Amino acid sequence: MLKINVVRNLIKVSALIVAGGVVFPPLTASADGHYDGVVVNILTRPGPVIAGRIVDRAEEFKEMTGAEIRVAEAPFAELFQKILTDWATGTNSIDVGVFASGWGIELVGGDLVENLDPYLAKDDKIDLDDIAPYFRDFNQKVSGSTYFITLDGDFQMLYYRTDVLAANGLEPPRTWEEYLDVASKIHGQDMNGDGEADYGSCIFKKRNAQSYFAIQSVAASRVQSMGTSEGIYFHHESMKPKINNEAWDKSFELYKATGEYGPPDELNQDIGDTRGLVVGGRCGLAIDWGDIGPLSIEEGSMIKDKIGAVIMPGSTEVLDPETGELVACDANTCPHAIDGINYAPFAAFGGWTAAINKGSGDKAKQAAYDFLSYMNQAAQSNVDVTMGWTGYNPYRNSQLNDTAAWVDAGFSQEAAENYLGAIKESLNHPNMASDFRIPGAQQYTGVVLDRELARYLAGEITVEQALENIEEAWEEITDDFGREEQAELYRLSLGITN
Amino acid sequence: MNEWIDRNMGRVFLAPAVTLILVFSIFPLVASLLLSFTRVRLSGGGFKIRFVGWKNFEKQFFGSEQFHLIGTFTEISVLGWIVGLAFTAVLLGWIIKYIRSHFTWVGFIGRMITFAMALGLCWLFSATLLSGNPFGTVGVTLFYVFVGCGIQFLIGTSLAFACSQRIMGKNAFRVIFFVPMMITPIGVGYIFRMMADTTKGPFADVWQWVGLGEFAWATNPWAARIFIVVADSWQWIPFVFIMMLAAFESVPRDLTEAAELDCAGPWQKFREIIWPHVLPIAATVMLIRAIEAFKIVDLPNIMTSGGPGIATESVSLQAYYAWRSLDLGAASAIAYILLFVTVVTCASFFNLVIHSRIRKQR
Amino acid sequence: MKTLHPKSGLFESRAIGEMALASRIILYTLLLGWSAFVLFPIYWLIITSFKNAATVNQGPYFLPWIDFQPSMHAWYELFVSDYEDTLRAYINSIIISLSATALSVLIGSMAAYALSRVHYAPNLITILFFVFLVALTWVSISAFDVDWRVALAVGVALFFFLARGVGRLHQIHLHNGDILFWIISQRILAPIVVVVPIYMMFQSVRLLDTHMALILTYCVVNMPIVVWLMFDFFNTIPRDLEESAQLDGATMFGTFREIVLPLSRAGLAATTLLVMILSWNEYLFALFLSTTKAQTMPILVAAMNAGERGILWWTMSVAIIIMILPVVLLAVILQKYISKGLLVGAVKG
Repeated sequence: MLKINVVRNLIKVSALIVAGGVVFPPLTASADGHYDGVVVNILTRPGPVIAGRIVDRAEEFKEMTGAEIRVAEAPFAELFQKILTDWATGTNSIDVGVFASGWGIELVGGDLVENLDPYLAKDDKIDLDDIAPYFRDFNQKVSGSTYFITLDGDFQMLYYRTDVLAANGLEPPRTWEEYLDVASKIHGQDMNGDGEADYGSCIFKKRNAQSYFAIQSVAASRVQSMGTSEGIYFHHESMKPKINNEAWDKSFELYKATGEYGPPDELNQDIGDTRGLVVGGRCGLAIDWGDIGPLSIEEGSMIKDKIGAVIMPGSTEVLDPETGELVACDANTCPHAIDGINYAPFAAFGGWTAAINKGSGDKAKQAAYDFLSYMNQAAQSNVDVTMGWTGYNPYRNSQLNDTAAWVDAGFSQEAAENYLGAIKESLNHPNMASDFRIPGAQQYTGVVLDRELARYLAGEITVEQALENIEEAWEEITDDFGREEQAELYRLSLGITN
Repeated sequence: MNEWIDRNMGRVFLAPAVTLILVFSIFPLVASLLLSFTRVRLSGGGFKIRFVGWKNFEKQFFGSEQFHLIGTFTEISVLGWIVGLAFTAVLLGWIIKYIRSHFTWVGFIGRMITFAMALGLCWLFSATLLSGNPFGTVGVTLFYVFVGCGIQFLIGTSLAFACSQRIMGKNAFRVIFFVPMMITPIGVGYIFRMMADTTKGPFADVWQWVGLGEFAWATNPWAARIFIVVADSWQWIPFVFIMMLAAFESVPRDLTEAAELDCAGPWQKFREIIWPHVLPIAATVMLIRAIEAFKIVDLPNIMTSGGPGIATESVSLQAYYAWRSLDLGAASAIAYILLFVTVVTCASFFNLVIHSRIRKQR
Repeated sequence: MKTLHPKSGLFESRAIGEMALASRIILYTLLLGWSAFVLFPIYWLIITSFKNAATVNQGPYFLPWIDFQPSMHAWYELFVSDYEDTLRAYINSIIISLSATALSVLIGSMAAYALSRVHYAPNLITILFFVFLVALTWVSISAFDVDWRVALAVGVALFFFLARGVGRLHQIHLHNGDILFWIISQRILAPIVVVVPIYMMFQSVRLLDTHMALILTYCVVNMPIVVWLMFDFFNTIPRDLEESAQLDGATMFGTFREIVLPLSRAGLAATTLLVMILSWNEYLFALFLSTTKAQTMPILVAAMNAGERGILWWTMSVAIIIMILPVVLLAVILQKYISKGLLVGAVKG
């Protein structure tokens, strides 16, 4: 009894304190559109990047339709947890989550994401055919239905300093062996005119950051040669990991070897650090997502019109999945090879995509869909992707065919053609490697692969031990989630339907 | 009514705190304990929970995560054997002495738990560090706790003592020394990441100048660990400082004056008057600091992300990473292992150091 | 009763006051050296807030105007373009941490005082019985759909009827030390595993994204620290004063307010400062229990790590700097009281 009184008084006191606090102004929504009074809450990561453009477009959308789009923000590292908790506990204070598409598989598996097929069927403005095939057919879909709307197209490319390579009489590398060769030749030269020795290669290697994407980019062209549906992680039928083999072995070694021509503390650099170095003109070669292009023309950049992009380096030998050994490329083993080199651009991260909460109200869902479609439509997104600060990279063919918008944004004609050419080549590549898109993706790659890679890079274990550990841990995770289910979902994620 | 309140004043004073803590602790504690025996999946618009027994714990201690939590084991070196056996003998001696002197069952069971854990940690230490094998997150956490707290206590107390003396500008020193604690822990992590950057941080030129241009602290396990302890100390010495300052300031002046009249030397005065007076607070401060240090997560997460390899990863960080990859079962299991280690360490410290003192006081 | 000594150093210390010049130089060198160690990172923080991407990334620059041109863009961003978010988070932080601190220090020091003066001996069996009943009630409500009023009534009734009987079965008494340890042990479990259950608790009472949720949470998570520190500070106060007051007919609350609290000012000030800082800087609970309306400053700081876009060092520095300022103010105010702990010594009977 006493206790109850105390609690009640406490609550009273605290309520008074709260009431004395800030009173937020009531909402004022007045537009003539058909969504008057509808509120859509979007959660994404903070800052101008990604979120900034959503806020701008939300204002336009409100004027058009009357729907109020509120953008809430959560720090990158905990963003997904926050969305997950909100949706899975039925709080449903968030209608739309904007996050990496790879994370979303888990949510779709939990039946938390609205299936967008009915909405797409009624939408005549979105023009799906214009979206690059990988994003349209793999990235937006789970088990054959569309669940996500792409806002940003992500995959990694190789960037090189056109001036540095030209001065040394070198061509941009086509294979990873050539990459090391070029890096070794230019390492130690002064590339930004400040009198200090700069680095041949910059690839982020920090743990729990993005290094597990980079290693997959390196490995993809050795592991996958038969087209996107081959996949780089498992054997389709048995779900046995395709990891403990010569292809990954070699890739681990190559990745570590690039460190010799990199900054001394590369092991503790994430993508933000290496990007700073690249834009500061300190790197000859670098791996990055599409962002370097728009960043290179920003104020303070030392590499304006000095940076070129090409498809990720390939390999002249590929994995024979039966034996686990590397075999030379020929017409049979590498049907998509060019000049005997097999390329497999890796769709790392999958890009920022939006998903609609299944638990939201019908009106909010429809308004949310219309807004996302509006963002995705060529008229809007073709402008957004040319602006570096938005963080959006191209994912539509119409964004790549026309260089005018890019030249307007500040590129030289030549740089724009080079940059768009590399993107186009990667984006439409029939052998594009798909990112992990089954439940537990974070555990498989973000935790296990990343950790063992970090231990190998730090010299704690050998590459053989690392691959063995990964294989064992992957098997454990697969058994945990159920081997049959995982195999089924894995096949679906690669578009194999039988 | 008034009479009743007056009679039960003791309970009225204690009840709000106990009730609030109960309300906030029972459900989360039970829920997370249950979670540690399960695998959690998302399904059907909510969570699906499957009990797996001890599997989560087994994986940490004996399975594929063993190297991660406690370390890699090969064989124990000669040094490892010597230290391990010597320490075991000391522990055995202590427990035998206890049994012979004043035996109670509660006391005995409590001491046996302490004994078992001390023994386990001792052999863990012998089998990993002393035998040249890498140790896991438990070892790293203990390093942060014991080395970090030790340094913080020594420096913090000395600074507090100096600032309680009649020195010039002591008010300014007091505020300055306290500043680092005001910064949000995440902020401290980022500040020290800037400090430690060997290419564009403030000490980049110093690194070059002393010829360490090619040496990156972040690639050397011990350098990285020490660096995290430095950042941790930078942040938490102020805590020890402010508490010990308050303690030194609350030493009754008449006691010290009396000592001076007796012509006690400064050292004698410190040892016999001041130190016994502040000791209880010092013990509490260290206990609180140790509890927080066991949970260290922001600094290694931001400064090194647990790297190089797993060299700077604390148990708490391991749980955080498991949690972030949606492995809630593993996260809870790891957190409970940490809870166990922390509770036993702190309870031993509390019962054997603080509690006996409280008993003496009564 | 209260005689204030003229303000001076603590120990009238002839020994240190008249230290040899050499040792005094060493002492000041150490103190100044430590100040430098403490202040340099702060200095770096301040100049970083005036840098832009180029001046951060292209090697260390130390002196504004001399080796780099300071720019206000980060300050502009937080105070002009995004001032709404910044201001809201700032006000939220102030409201939440002040309320939580006040509540926590009040309730916590009451408990600490009680623990240091009254001897408790609750029976462990009764407590276990109570916990068992709570669990039973909870299970019957959640798993068997029993109406919550019925379940609660039955639970309470059972407790009152049976508590005494069960308690007599076996007597294992807990003592103040056990209660104290139980209280501190609440801080041991890593917050990430309790944050989701706590989130669900607040969700069920619809308090998510309110100040209330964070105030209550901070109040509770910091209470163990208050109880522990204040317990020790209360223990250092001589008891004879209180005893004489009680003989004069003062109530326990009266004694507490009139005599004990003023005497333990140093400890109270230090504890308040500490709890204030802990709630001001807390991150994980703030992240989960708030979405927009109740978002606090630490989230703003963490937000400046833009993931694969790198860290926005400049705006992050601004956010950290403006977060320190109010705490510095508070510290300057409170540190006076910390010195006034001298009173303690002045009141021997």
